Amino acid sequence: MAYTRKDVSTLTAAEKKRFVKAMLEVKKRGEYDEFVRTHIEYYTADGEDGLRAAHMTPSFLPWHRRFLLELEKALRRVDSSVTVPYWDWTRNRTATSAPWTKDLLGGNGRRSDHQVTTGPFAYGTGNWTIKEGVTDGEFLTRDLGRARDPMALPTKSELESALAEPVYDFSPWDSTLTKGFRNRLEGWGTGHGTVSWRNHNRVHRWVGGVMLGGASVNDPVFWLHHAFVDLQWSRWQSRHRGARYLPATPPGPASPQHGQIIARREKMPPWDVTPESLEDVSRIYRYA
Amino acid sequence: MVVSVGGVPVGAEPAPKGRTRGGPAQGTRRDVLRGLFVPAVALALAPVVAASRPLHDEPRPGDTAFEETYRGRHIVGFRTAAAHVSERDIHWEVTVDGRPLHLMRRADGTWLSMVDHYRSYPTPLAAARAAVDELGPGEQLRDLAPGPMSGGKMHMGGEHGVHA
Repeated sequence: MAYTRKDVSTLTAAEKKRFVKAMLEVKKRGEYDEFVRTHIEYYTADGEDGLRAAHMTPSFLPWHRRFLLELEKALRRVDSSVTVPYWDWTRNRTATSAPWTKDLLGGNGRRSDHQVTTGPFAYGTGNWTIKEGVTDGEFLTRDLGRARDPMALPTKSELESALAEPVYDFSPWDSTLTKGFRNRLEGWGTGHGTVSWRNHNRVHRWVGGVMLGGASVNDPVFWLHHAFVDLQWSRWQSRHRGARYLPATPPGPASPQHGQIIARREKMPPWDVTPESLEDVSRIYRYA
Repeated sequence: MVVSVGGVPVGAEPAPKGRTRGGPAQGTRRDVLRGLFVPAVALALAPVVAASRPLHDEPRPGDTAFEETYRGRHIVGFRTAAAHVSERDIHWEVTVDGRPLHLMRRADGTWLSMVDHYRSYPTPLAAARAAVDELGPGEQLRDLAPGPMSGGKMHMGGEHGVHA
């Protein structure tokens, strides 16, 4: 029986409480920090050598889909009623709207050092000490909207520009593409300044603090953000019937991308599952 | 193949490490020559290339390095890998207040840091300054992941690659 992932702005007080409680328990068990490490470990940029499983690569979507499923499994071991809610940043666009409330993720970081001091993930609670960080900072940080040089979340029309792409991805399967659903959604743009962040990437920047770095998983909003990104993959599939994950087959030995990306039926680390096996997850969960 | 560090204060002393860690310059010239004649396809098979050359070649004349104080933080950067191979194999070691800042390269030749992972910058110095912009008062970098500078780019299979 498939379970439902809900829009975070529609959660009841009880649902929020259970989600928070399960997150804190997963953290307490030490499992959460494993997720942070995994995300750091699999970030290989496309100007480097080696397999790109998670970013700047076609498997950006299935990799994060599976990553979310793993977290959700951990949460559901604590409380089987819990699912990962999604944050629709095209609708909930301010620093005080969902999910930045005291009863869920807490609010913005304070001005002096961006430390989050409200809500259940504030350092002062003693329940959310960062252990696997990019810096020696032990507290969660946020800089919603980037105070020193304000910027906005991606708009509906920016997201639409990704959804309108009829093809999943193109050679050279990296961050330099200006077409294809995957990179338009992942959000690697060309040029400098704020135009170079789009969709997924832009949201990481908008949240700021730990969400900006390799250890972005330390902010629980990581999951709500990626659930919404994941939902876009399902929406894109519904809109472009029959469109599939690409590439269908691995680039040949003469291609510079040989051995660097994961084709539809190749196994994706660290779980050894294929992108194909994650194209249809309707038996596991659905989005409300 | 030379990474542009346009607008960068060039000419600062490369940190001593860059000169000494590679030890005697044995093989460096040969590697330079070999590097020049490696076909592009072989360069794509970089692990082989990487294994066959010293990690820390002597910087060549004209190599860029930088050292500056930016917003109260001491930023130092220097090239550590041979300049003879493709742009993909140019590595930088950058530190902020003496702590390593892990940099990664994008396919378009720009740079990302561990602190700022969702956009890239035209030069290692620009990436380092952007990282400093994000550091809070007294906050210091932690050496998290082995990066290109340590020769370890792939952490597949190993489940313990990134302990802080």
